[in-house]
Amino acid sequence: MQETISSRRKARERWGRLFLLPTCVILFVFVIYPIGYTLVLSLCDYNFAFDYHMKFAGFGNFVKMFRDPVYLTSLANTMFFTLVMFIFLVVFSLSLALLLFYKKKHSWFFRTAIFVPIVVPASLICILFSFMLADNFGIINKFLMSIGLSSWTHNWLTDATSAKWWVMIVSVWGKMGFCTILFLSGLQNIPSDLFEAAEIDGAVGWKKLIYVIIPNLAETFVVVGIWAILQCLKLFVTPNVLTKGGPANATKVLYQYIYDTAFQNFDMGYASAQAIILTVLVMIFSFLNMKIGKKEGE
Amino acid sequence: MPMKQKNSTKILVTAALLVVSLICIFPIFFCIFTSFKESTEIIKEITFFPKKWSSVNYDYVFARGAKYLKYYLNTIIITLSSVLITMILSALSGYAFARLPFKGSSTLLGTVLFILAFPLAAILIPIYMMEYDLKLLNTYIGIILPNLLCILPFSIFIMRGAFIDMPKELEDSAEIDGCTVPQTWWYIMLPLARNALVIVLVSGFYNVWGEYTIAKTLATKDAIMPISVALTLLKSEDWNYGVLAAAITLSIIPPIVVFSIFQDKLVEGMSAGAVKG
Repeated sequence: MQETISSRRKARERWGRLFLLPTCVILFVFVIYPIGYTLVLSLCDYNFAFDYHMKFAGFGNFVKMFRDPVYLTSLANTMFFTLVMFIFLVVFSLSLALLLFYKKKHSWFFRTAIFVPIVVPASLICILFSFMLADNFGIINKFLMSIGLSSWTHNWLTDATSAKWWVMIVSVWGKMGFCTILFLSGLQNIPSDLFEAAEIDGAVGWKKLIYVIIPNLAETFVVVGIWAILQCLKLFVTPNVLTKGGPANATKVLYQYIYDTAFQNFDMGYASAQAIILTVLVMIFSFLNMKIGKKEGE
Repeated sequence: MPMKQKNSTKILVTAALLVVSLICIFPIFFCIFTSFKESTEIIKEITFFPKKWSSVNYDYVFARGAKYLKYYLNTIIITLSSVLITMILSALSGYAFARLPFKGSSTLLGTVLFILAFPLAAILIPIYMMEYDLKLLNTYIGIILPNLLCILPFSIFIMRGAFIDMPKELEDSAEIDGCTVPQTWWYIMLPLARNALVIVLVSGFYNVWGEYTIAKTLATKDAIMPISVALTLLKSEDWNYGVLAAAITLSIIPPIVVFSIFQDKLVEGMSAGAVKG
């Protein structure tokens, strides 16, 4: 009897390894190996279009990066976008979640409308926005003119400041729904007796928000916050399609610069070094996420 | 008095939600209505609803625009294959992680979940070089395989969660009846995990359908481009917004329909995935 149990366990372990084999192969070929390759490349001079061999360059690429004004601009832009979008995402999505939490009945339409931008392909919506923001026949300028605000019309995407804001608006539009879902599920997980107790104590409206909801949402705040930061650091599609990083690098983000360096100039070594820095930034935040997630699980 | 106050709050909340909802769906409906306008109306008038409904843009997309149909076909091929492969792989791996533990399997799970957060930028450069050497650039398989990376970790996580919650007695009795491990997996466990499989299917579907970065990097030829990339390049060439709006409408409708149908299940899955992942 003892023997059959242990042989059964052995068999299950064997099947377990076999079941995981295809996934592991894919992850190895498309993640583990490429990451190693990127690390090596980042220490080399290698132009994919001209060079036959990689030349070891030590930390040359990393030094070059911090003397490269375009890189520094894109770093500053990424930081700016991350900070502003983070604030907007958290504030908007928390407000929306509270509204949806309050209105539980007959909210199918509202929920669908707020969540649906999540599934709309970002690149296509950017084309649409560049159409709405067009200088002479975009609906936004035409609307401003029709209500007598011709002086407000603008070439939205070729002006550095407004281009920055529109990139952020379109990105927030696409990402807000997901944050709202997270906040909403956080709200739904607050035990209802807490609300009842607060009501008995006479807490209404704002007081309920401050004393019951916010403290009980601490974990959700962390999850949403880190998700939002990661999304902002990895921002690429919206600036790429809306402005291609222009005008004059005003909306160039780290990701865009990596893309340009690698796939337009084919300077793979320099692009890899930039990618490593971005990865380190992302890892710091995901590591925090995992640590905090683990704590919750316990 | 308190009753009255409650009512006014209710109206305020509904009004606020209505405003936000309309802002959220404005671009989508603007696109749909624009696609039914003729180009003179698009350029000259400012209207939201078309004054005259016309199907001229759709006629163009379907008739003259054989290339549009090719882009759709590419998107469909890439999406369906990626999602199908992901369903199989995540069902296998999720079951293994949940029910067939071996030494090192929890470390492996940690690795898989960690990949969830990796920026594509760090792996796309070597993948591009690798695919160039293997002549996989501009092939379906060359785009499908990297796409798996974006959806597989989340899917594995969802499937593992589904299998872990199932009663162990089911497996025991199946084994007493003489089922092997793959038989138990296929005939007993997988049918019970179909809700999770639906989440994997739907989330994979809309993620790959709109995927941009990978396709833009690895597909440079028209013959292989999905619609999410192709339309961004068309934009500057033939600057006909009516046709463009029609093409965009056709390609945002499938994910929106799928989402509306499976909304509740999907929302549940997404919040579970993000909180624990």
